[in-house]
Amino acid sequence: MYPRPIPEDAIWHRRFYFTAVLAILILWLCPLFAVILTSFRSTQDVMGGNLWGWPTQFGLIDNYTSVFTQTPMARYFLNSLMITIPSVIGVLIMSTLAGFVLARYRFRGNMLVFALFVGGNFLPYQIMMIPVRDLMVRIGLYDTPAALIIFHIAFQTGFATLFMRNFIAALPDELFQAARAEGASPFQTLVHVVIPLVRPALAALAILIFTFVWNDYFWAVVLTISDTVKPVTAGLANLRGEWVSAWNLISAGTIVVAVPPVVMFFLMQRHFIAGLTMGAVKG
Amino acid sequence: MTSLELRHVNKNYGAYHALRGIDLSVEQGEFIVMVGPSGCGKSTLLKSIAGLETISSGQIMINGRDVSTAEPGDRGIAMVFQSYALYPHMTVAENMGFGLRMAKRPKAEIDAAVARAAKILRITDQLDKRPKQLSGGQRQRVAIGRAITRSPEVFLFDEPLSNLDAALRTQMRVELSGLHAELGATMVYVTHDQVEAMTMASRIVVLNRGIIEQVGSPLELYRNPDNLFVAGFLGAPRMNFFPVTVDQVSGNSVTVSAPGLAPIVVDLAAGASVQKGTTLTLGIRPENIAISDTASAGAAISGHVRLVEHLGRETILYVDAGELQCVSSESGTGHITVQIGHVTGVAADAPISLRIDPREVYLFSANDERTITVRKPILDK
Repeated sequence: MYPRPIPEDAIWHRRFYFTAVLAILILWLCPLFAVILTSFRSTQDVMGGNLWGWPTQFGLIDNYTSVFTQTPMARYFLNSLMITIPSVIGVLIMSTLAGFVLARYRFRGNMLVFALFVGGNFLPYQIMMIPVRDLMVRIGLYDTPAALIIFHIAFQTGFATLFMRNFIAALPDELFQAARAEGASPFQTLVHVVIPLVRPALAALAILIFTFVWNDYFWAVVLTISDTVKPVTAGLANLRGEWVSAWNLISAGTIVVAVPPVVMFFLMQRHFIAGLTMGAVKG
Repeated sequence: MTSLELRHVNKNYGAYHALRGIDLSVEQGEFIVMVGPSGCGKSTLLKSIAGLETISSGQIMINGRDVSTAEPGDRGIAMVFQSYALYPHMTVAENMGFGLRMAKRPKAEIDAAVARAAKILRITDQLDKRPKQLSGGQRQRVAIGRAITRSPEVFLFDEPLSNLDAALRTQMRVELSGLHAELGATMVYVTHDQVEAMTMASRIVVLNRGIIEQVGSPLELYRNPDNLFVAGFLGAPRMNFFPVTVDQVSGNSVTVSAPGLAPIVVDLAAGASVQKGTTLTLGIRPENIAISDTASAGAAISGHVRLVEHLGRETILYVDAGELQCVSSESGTGHITVQIGHVTGVAADAPISLRIDPREVYLFSANDERTITVRKPILDK
């Protein structure tokens, strides 16, 4: 299954491979570089149409401070955190509980419930736009962080449950039998045996859900309207003026918005421990 | 005192009847080994005693208490699994103290119990390690230690040595026997390994297709199997079986013969009756067949050696006796298995004459496969 290494002596083969990789990398990262460079530019540069070249004047500190002082970005940022963090925690709790039960307990309708969780993922979420907005208006949560939190937890739990259920189902059966034989209650088994063993899965899921929720634009626009609630994605769009757009500020804002998922990745990275279940059975 | 009692235990999986009316009474301090072929229900029975499987009907009593519907943790049992089932994220000490921790016992008590078990198993210096840092034998010791810390009324072992290599298995077998003597606890042990069954058991329970075929001490089962299944199951290499015809009945003994087999006179058990001309199954263990020097004097069987296996201390011969074909033989070819207790110069394809010790012959009735020959002495005559 391992790719066959390109032999040392096939020089042209190697050079071609290297060039192709480089070309794809540059193409892939080009927009990102453009945004980063633009976030350094002065307004004159942007007005002068210098969008791809090297900045004539660096406005690095200016731009990044302006994002927070001249626009409500700080507020949007805070809103995003207030929406994303509870959503991620909520999804992790719900999906671990649901996944544990679906993976480990045989009961009538188990497969049906599981199928509903999986099937829900196949629905295009846009079809829920009107009903969800109406629902939130009626229960008085429209234009509050709770509206987004509840929706994201409900929607992401489907996929997350599928993910956790499969991960928990893959744990060795004997561990559960052993825990049960030793008198551990189902909840004790969950806390002391399952959660420590699915930590890598929880970390991966946390990153995924964090990124999904943080980057969500659609529901942010559908369910929020005021600046005190809007998350960064919707807020960023607000930065575009009707006549003039300060592209250097928007770029700086974009970079700021992109930072948390990256930070999240590095925070969670240490939980990716390969072979955590090694030594449980046989080995 | 009765430690564990099974009363007519049944287990159904849908239409499949996995355990059929199991009755068994285990005394305090006994080491019971359950053996049987794959799918005979031995693991199901063990898990039913543990409470990991619910029984369909019947009763399970532990120390006089009906635990048939109790949770596994409340039954006073501890189980050791074939795959060890250690919690990989916990240290050895945490693994061993898990049960007590779940029961929310005081820390001092847990530490004392863990230290005691670790001392018994000589793993005190491993307590801070994680399972993956341990060898297979050490892991199994930890799993046993985890059982000891709970000081259960009954220990349950589910093929605990099957994952170990041969040398370690022998060592652990001796250790487990020692542990049993030291703790004096009731142990129920499931295995498919005959040597484990023969060496460790106070009593062996032979299971087959969900029923108990026979219960008894290892030597009792080996010498006096109740039926053809037990006779064939215990003993390696397997007992040889041939269909034979009753030539003559005189008092309590019969003369049987078969094409290729000279007539043999065998004593029957009291109460056994057979008719002249009926067909029986004759059983003879490979170690009770000897090579006969001359083709005439008392030679029961003559044939050709087909294969010689030199095991060093002993030699196994597979003999093709022409018309006299073994049923369900060791080699699966109908050849007669002969075990010689020394090195022999017999070569493959050589003609050979065999002698059968008539005192060691078993006869099984053809319809219900029960043993009808007289009891054999367990100790040397």
